Amino acid sequence: MASGAQEKQYTPSLLSFFIYNPTFGPREGEEEKKILFYHPSEVEKNEKIRNVGLCEAIVQFTRTFCPTKPAKSLHTQKNRQFFFEPEEHFWIVMVVRNPMIEKPNKDGKPPAIEYQEEEILDTVYGAVVRQCYSMYKLFNGTFGRAMEAGGVELLIQKLEKFFYRYLQTLHLQSCDLLDVFGGISFFPLDKMTYLKIQSFVNRVEESLSLIKYTAFLYNDQLIWSGLEQDDMRILYKYLTTSLFPRHSEPELAGRDSPLRPEVTGNLLHYGRFLTGPTNLKDPEAKFRFPKIFVSAEEGYEELHLIVYKAMSAAACFMISATVELTREFCEQLDSLVGPQLTLLASDICEQFTINRRISGPEKEPQFKFIYFNHMNLAEKSTIHMRKTASVCLTSVHPDLMKILGDINCDFARFDEDEEIIVKAMTDYWVVGKKSDQRELYVILNQKNANLILVNEEVKRLCATQFNNIFFLD
Amino acid sequence: MDGESRNATVPWDNAMLSPVDRLRSDRADSPTPGLVEGTEPGAVQRSAIFYHAQSYEDLTAEAENEAQRAPEPDRPQGHNEDEIDALVGEKSVERRLNNDPSSESSTKEEDVSSEAWRSHKKHVFVLSEAGKPIYTRYGTEEALSSTMGVMMALVSFVEAEKNIIRSIHADGCKVVFLTKSPLVLVGVSKTGQSDKELLRELQYIYYQIVSLLTLTQLNHIFQHKQNYDLRRLLAGSEYLTDNLLRRLERDPGLLLSAVTCLPLASSARDVVSSSLQAAKAKNLVFSILLAGDRLVTLVRKKDQFLHHIDLHLVFNLVGSSSSFREGEGWTPICLPKFNTAGFFHAHISYLEPASELCLILVSTDREDFFNMSECKQRFMERLSKRSAYQAMKEALKCPSYSVEQVGIPELRHFLYKSKSSGLYTSPEFPEVYQSDEEQERLMGLYQDLHSCLHHPTRPLRYFYRCSETENLLARLTSGFELYLCFSPLATKALAVSAVDKLLKWIRKEEDRFFILSPLTY
Amino acid sequence: MAEEHYLELSENPVQFEHASSVNNVFFDEANKQVFAVRSGGATGVVVKGPDDKCSVAFRMDDKGEVKCIKFSIGNKILAVQRTLKSVDFINFIPDYPHTEFTQECKTKNANILGFCWTSWNEIVFITDQGIEFYQVFPDKRSLKLLKSQSINVNWYQYCPETAVILLSTTVQGNVLQPFAFRNGTMTKMSKFEIELPVIPKPAKLSLSERDIAMATIYGQLYVMYLKHHSRTVNSPGAEVVLYHLPRDGTCKKSHVLKLNMTGKFALNIVDNLVVVHHQSSQTSLIFDIKLKEPDCAVNSHQPVLPARSIHPYRIPLSGPAAVPTQPPVPCQLYSSSWSVFQPDIIISASEGYLWYLQVKLPPTVHLLQDKGKLMDFLLRRRDCKMVILSVCSQILEGQEKASLPVVATVFDKLNQVYKEYLEAEQSYAAATESGTSRGGAAQKRPVRTQAVIDQSDMYTHVLSSFTERKDVTHKFIIAVVMEYIRSLNQYQITVQHYLYELVIKTLVQNNLFYMLHQFLQYHVLSDSKPLACLLLSLESTYPPAHQLSLDMLKRLSTANDEIVEVLLSKQQVLGALRFIRSVGGHDNVSARKFLDAARQTGDQMLFYTVFRSFQQRNQRLRGNPSFNPGEHCEEHVAHFKQLFGEQALMKPSTV
Repeated sequence: MASGAQEKQYTPSLLSFFIYNPTFGPREGEEEKKILFYHPSEVEKNEKIRNVGLCEAIVQFTRTFCPTKPAKSLHTQKNRQFFFEPEEHFWIVMVVRNPMIEKPNKDGKPPAIEYQEEEILDTVYGAVVRQCYSMYKLFNGTFGRAMEAGGVELLIQKLEKFFYRYLQTLHLQSCDLLDVFGGISFFPLDKMTYLKIQSFVNRVEESLSLIKYTAFLYNDQLIWSGLEQDDMRILYKYLTTSLFPRHSEPELAGRDSPLRPEVTGNLLHYGRFLTGPTNLKDPEAKFRFPKIFVSAEEGYEELHLIVYKAMSAAACFMISATVELTREFCEQLDSLVGPQLTLLASDICEQFTINRRISGPEKEPQFKFIYFNHMNLAEKSTIHMRKTASVCLTSVHPDLMKILGDINCDFARFDEDEEIIVKAMTDYWVVGKKSDQRELYVILNQKNANLILVNEEVKRLCATQFNNIFFLD
Repeated sequence: MDGESRNATVPWDNAMLSPVDRLRSDRADSPTPGLVEGTEPGAVQRSAIFYHAQSYEDLTAEAENEAQRAPEPDRPQGHNEDEIDALVGEKSVERRLNNDPSSESSTKEEDVSSEAWRSHKKHVFVLSEAGKPIYTRYGTEEALSSTMGVMMALVSFVEAEKNIIRSIHADGCKVVFLTKSPLVLVGVSKTGQSDKELLRELQYIYYQIVSLLTLTQLNHIFQHKQNYDLRRLLAGSEYLTDNLLRRLERDPGLLLSAVTCLPLASSARDVVSSSLQAAKAKNLVFSILLAGDRLVTLVRKKDQFLHHIDLHLVFNLVGSSSSFREGEGWTPICLPKFNTAGFFHAHISYLEPASELCLILVSTDREDFFNMSECKQRFMERLSKRSAYQAMKEALKCPSYSVEQVGIPELRHFLYKSKSSGLYTSPEFPEVYQSDEEQERLMGLYQDLHSCLHHPTRPLRYFYRCSETENLLARLTSGFELYLCFSPLATKALAVSAVDKLLKWIRKEEDRFFILSPLTY
Repeated sequence: MAEEHYLELSENPVQFEHASSVNNVFFDEANKQVFAVRSGGATGVVVKGPDDKCSVAFRMDDKGEVKCIKFSIGNKILAVQRTLKSVDFINFIPDYPHTEFTQECKTKNANILGFCWTSWNEIVFITDQGIEFYQVFPDKRSLKLLKSQSINVNWYQYCPETAVILLSTTVQGNVLQPFAFRNGTMTKMSKFEIELPVIPKPAKLSLSERDIAMATIYGQLYVMYLKHHSRTVNSPGAEVVLYHLPRDGTCKKSHVLKLNMTGKFALNIVDNLVVVHHQSSQTSLIFDIKLKEPDCAVNSHQPVLPARSIHPYRIPLSGPAAVPTQPPVPCQLYSSSWSVFQPDIIISASEGYLWYLQVKLPPTVHLLQDKGKLMDFLLRRRDCKMVILSVCSQILEGQEKASLPVVATVFDKLNQVYKEYLEAEQSYAAATESGTSRGGAAQKRPVRTQAVIDQSDMYTHVLSSFTERKDVTHKFIIAVVMEYIRSLNQYQITVQHYLYELVIKTLVQNNLFYMLHQFLQYHVLSDSKPLACLLLSLESTYPPAHQLSLDMLKRLSTANDEIVEVLLSKQQVLGALRFIRSVGGHDNVSARKFLDAARQTGDQMLFYTVFRSFQQRNQRLRGNPSFNPGEHCEEHVAHFKQLFGEQALMKPSTV
């Protein structure tokens, strides 16, 4: 854009977020009853009703053409609206303002605003909405459950309570492909250490028979999950973007350096609870843990979530919510798990450093990449710096990220193996590969490479990073 | 749309940036990928035929811009409707005579609540700002009046918020809105085309309607009568829109904003051109010689440019009705990219009854029929004396060529567009793409490539896709656009080498495939 | 209670005529022969050995009371001592002069305490003044003195298997002087002193030969000293002190076995266990000197198991003395008429029986609670395999079910031994491989003892049945199998794929596919074609299995053909072709195979693509796009023409 002197750039932002159920206020004048949650709450009532009305109209209208496939988004000049019906008749709507540029206008006229309509990717924000619901469901169960338990009033309460806080943690400007995948980053580990962890988990579950499921993470990366995939997916999201960052402290590999035997020998350990009691010694300590809902044979089950961490190793223990958790239990867990987990943490760290040494020093490679496998949700990105609660920093230009998004949409259209290689106007090469449920995206910064060279680079990448999986060439 | 503001500033005559002699010197024997505009194969040498048609975004350029440039063709006196009706009547006659097999009468009386109706790949609706139905591709307007009412409601609801509705997205289906006061156009597509692609098609429909009535008249009517039923005026002309929609699905020209030529030795073509040039008249603006959907040549008044959209509308008009075979047609036509305000008058006739060759002489004077008719005579006399006429007839026998000639076994098909000339060339579809479904699928793929390359904010230079059915490669340089379709088993190495090989080949053949030296009078 | 008797007497004892006024009985430890000498041999000598072969019967003239009588090794020559001065010899070699000959001891006025054969024709006289080592020449009917050594001797002990003679010297008799004999040579080993509980004043012989025994335990020669409880030194009870007697080097005290009892004891060695019989309590104790006692000093040991008596024994009906109607008489155990010989022999002269003492392992299982210790104990026993396996099943099932850590330790102990064997095997193989022919002393094939419990043993006897059990939670089943795999990995033992199949089967049965997925993700279940195929078979129930198995096949890198087959079976003809091309096999695949597959899909475009690509291959390879007759593609060519027409065929001219 010309005359970029004092232009102002605005990133996409959350205009409103609301949840409604049309069946709750079917008659004229009762429209307000439909609305279960509306952010920002201070919006004047009639406007709320109008906006909900529009959404209903859009949904209805779309049905005339595809009754089976509900409307997912509405594009307008100024914003985009995302619709999601997680449970029958319950609609979640998120309205995102398009990014815009404010151009100061000479001779005192109000500044001209130019909306950038092509900047927002439906897939990304559609995923964000679904994630909102999954997160609600993780901690509250379905809407239907609240209805059964306490009718609309209770549901409204729960929604208020949850989304009031959750919406503040949304960072729309930093959403990207990774939100679409909602993947899980697995910690690379040698077989033996992995087996040790297995055996650790099994032993703990045996001696503390209350524990129903266990998950094991290291460096915010998953190593073992006893939960089913989809539950783990959202729990992982919660742990890595909310819980861990809140407790993050100088806990980097340095401190995990293999402990001296006399330390590991006796009971001294680094274990502590991330949920529940902060200090067991404290007589006032409360033994309440967050409750989560996961799928089970009969619908869902409610569980206490105990997250216990020693150095960089974290273990999540899940216990049926029907049992009361006592101080005794926590102490028992602490004394049993603490030392073992501390020891494991140092083992893992040791192994990891060894492996790293084997793989040799990493020289900054020519490429950055994102990998995702739909089968096990495994996710790997060299584009993103450590994803924190607040923002996920990417090391590449947003436009390139969007190109990745475009390619991803393209892949989503037909489910067949595909490869796409493009060259952006900025002369970056972007490669997308889809092979049997796996997706790989590579960004190369080699201005005067041609298709063949680019292909070679990607081959090399696959050989180094993915030689152990079957990637159709 | 941000597109507008950007492209309004594009100079309309880019094509003539560089003087002839320089161009000549720049014309390399083997085209390099980085060919500069004007030196790419098929680049015009003297002066372009069209507005420089960079991409469909030209469509969105405001009509006014061109209006200023346009000469003042005579305004249709008064806008009394019976005159319009008369003119329309004339067409409805053609309609009756029209023995176009693809008559859509069947699809019209479709039950709009039926699954069959819903499952159409692409719906197009035109309605007035009052929400009155004007056109629907399938089903009857009456049956859809309520649906269109909803559409209008949505549009105006959003407008009430000082906002503009663009599109609605559901899985595998999208609804696109285009408001062109006093009309609202809505496209519903299951084709997976990008919004921009669909908008472009709606634009075409919009211009098609304008070309029948002029924008001036359109505005006038609705200023007069808010909820006027425009169908009264358009009755019998729907088939033009129907056909245009069909073309949009099949004709690469509308995608590339370009037209393709009848392959013809330049010697012969030049003779034809000069013959046309010779047969000029005071109010004659354009002389266009068509062979089916292919341009043979086009001669224009100095400094008057025919936009490819207008040309495509002419193609559509001619191609949609067989009535012009009956003799000399004389019909008013608005060329919206030229001037949305007024009518031209087109003299349309085939050189010989059975022949594909159709001559269109566009005049500014509605009383010019006999002058035009006479121009045609002069042209015919001149031409019939020359061997070029025979050559042209010969050429008609094989209006296209096979991709085999390029000599790349894995290459199945391609589109090549020379930007400066606004012309493109493409071989006939190979055996595997004989069925209509396959051809439309391939077109769909080209459309995808096109919209990727021309993404409004993230345009690309280069696009390669390797899939289960074919491997595709698209390249965009300042000089040309190239789209190749390979066997899915072709390697990347091959694709890369194929580009050079193909460009060389086109360079070799350029004077057959392109009009290198268009003429003016 | 009965199953608690972990010691028993051999089923079929050696029977002989019991001792009486007219029948003297002698036992030769070297040949394990019992001599029944009736009236000085005149009325016959009956020799009974462990098996009938070495049983002999003969007569000899009664030349006075027989003091000692022994065959040389292999019953070649019989030596009989009747006087304190001399020993008589009788040839038993066929067609050698049969008449006796005599040898007096060389040392003047020395008395012969006894003699021992060290080979078929070498004999040692032990006199109260020293030892004399002779070679016997049966043909010449004479002996040659090879070596002699004069030393005061109180008494002596002989250990046949090592051919070591131990002499008790000095007044107190507690300085022991060992001599070793090997083919014609006599070597004096370093002497050593047994520390007595009390030093008698005045000095008198105070170390009795009954308190000393020699035996080899775990391949090492030990002198066992039964150190009686003394009131003065308040030790809790008597002890057995073991002195290790190396072939060369000095002998030193190595182990102390705490008996915690007092009274009369007798020692046996069975299966490398020291058995201590206690007469008054009529019980026996067993000690395993390799069993480390964490709680007490390194070389002192407590009994492995609580004291139990030998399994009650009934004298069988068979045998000469038996009369049909007579019911089997319960035999009196620990009777004073018993005499105990090394290593494992018990003789009742009064009843005329010779038994071998045996250890029964099953009872020990319940007596030894610490499973780790139990494993250590069992792993060193001879016939341990089935017992060990039964223990494994036990700790996994029923009320005896042990906790995972215990299970883990048991597995680790088993695999420790397993691994040692495998390594021995390997190095042996390596040695023979690299032809260690130079010097015939190539190492000998390692013997596979019963203690080596390999994966198939575990699988067939323990795991397969265990995983079938309904009364065990799948959680525990998986935990156990993973624990076993973990243990194997820890000892770098390659895991057999049937174990993996066991894991997979269990996981699948319980729909724990995500677990399975994670295991495979971390390559816990190592790659193999059978495993990959198993995964493929799961695809219908768990689609991701397809991806997993393809990955595995890819990693195996020897399974390209399989990969192609898999892809074709999924109608991924292009994928197959692209793959085979990427591994450079495109030029020599069968065109027909792919054309068939392409045609089956019914996808005309696909067929076109594949067909044309092979035409181009032909073009490239033979300069002609058409197929060779050998490729049997005629029908496909026809099909192609029919679909796309003659002109669609690639023409030789192009390219």
